[in-house]
Amino acid sequence: MASLSVCSSLTTTSTLSQNQKSAVPAFKTNLNFLSRSLSSLRLASPKQPLFVPNFSQTEAPSSLAESETEPITEFEPTVEIADEEPKREEVFAVVMVGSRQYIVFPGRFIYTQRLKGANVNDKITLNKVLLVGTKTSTYIGKPIVPNATVHAVVEEQKLDKKVIVFKYKKKKNYRRNIGHRQPITRIRITSITGYQDSPAVTLP
Amino acid sequence: MNKKEVFKLAKGFRGRAKNCIRIARERVEKALQYSYRDRRNKKRDMRGLWIQRINAGTRQHGVNYGNFMHGLMKENIQLNRKVLSEISMHEPYSFKALVDISRNAFPGNKAIAPPKKEGLAILI
Repeated sequence: MASLSVCSSLTTTSTLSQNQKSAVPAFKTNLNFLSRSLSSLRLASPKQPLFVPNFSQTEAPSSLAESETEPITEFEPTVEIADEEPKREEVFAVVMVGSRQYIVFPGRFIYTQRLKGANVNDKITLNKVLLVGTKTSTYIGKPIVPNATVHAVVEEQKLDKKVIVFKYKKKKNYRRNIGHRQPITRIRITSITGYQDSPAVTLP
Repeated sequence: MNKKEVFKLAKGFRGRAKNCIRIARERVEKALQYSYRDRRNKKRDMRGLWIQRINAGTRQHGVNYGNFMHGLMKENIQLNRKVLSEISMHEPYSFKALVDISRNAFPGNKAIAPPKKEGLAILI
């Protein structure tokens, strides 16, 4: 279940960051929401790298919340992704959100337990960073990496898929059929910072 | 549950379980009981799977699962088994660093060397 959620958070910031250039100047009237969210993303991490998913190449279900306007500007980027791949900064972190641990990469999103009181487009910082890995070194927290923070943007507050809770007791004529939808929050990771001063293990 | 809902859930079942309401209702109720139970069992099953993966990863560095986790506990590293298994699969160098830390924390681990695999040729 959990590993599934990590995999499904492989997304297309590539298309997103490409859209920033093309979409923002072109549509100034109707796209207030879209351009605002995108520009805030960009401000938070100026060197936001283009992200190319490692494990699977599916690009489909990522941009559900980016409103219906996105398909308009989705055609150009696919070719350019391959060229700019080396710019990607290779860093990941293990972060604790709502008593669960997630492996996060800048640019991808994760589904977490509902963060109460957070609104869409809020910027949040996650302080419980248990491990940070870069290309050359690993920072292992005991139990947390001091000063390391993960910055994220709340993208969507929604309900998970419905689960049918069917309770049944034999010979007692007892049946209960209840639907349940767990509230969840989708956050997109923008950057991982502050880990540099802590002791590192250098990798071969 | 009404008939329509039952048939909707019975899509893809075999034989009469997808067409006849009496049998379909029976099978759908049983299926929902299983899914209720297995949502709970899933947590145990996944934990078992993660432990197997961690064990496979640590044994490549000559440490078994139990000693590895004991070393992490001593160092107060609170990564859970889900994350450790994913690190062992996708981030081998970071995982090696974790194994080294665990090994230093728990000297009993040092003595263990991976067993040599020798063919039958020696016997002859």
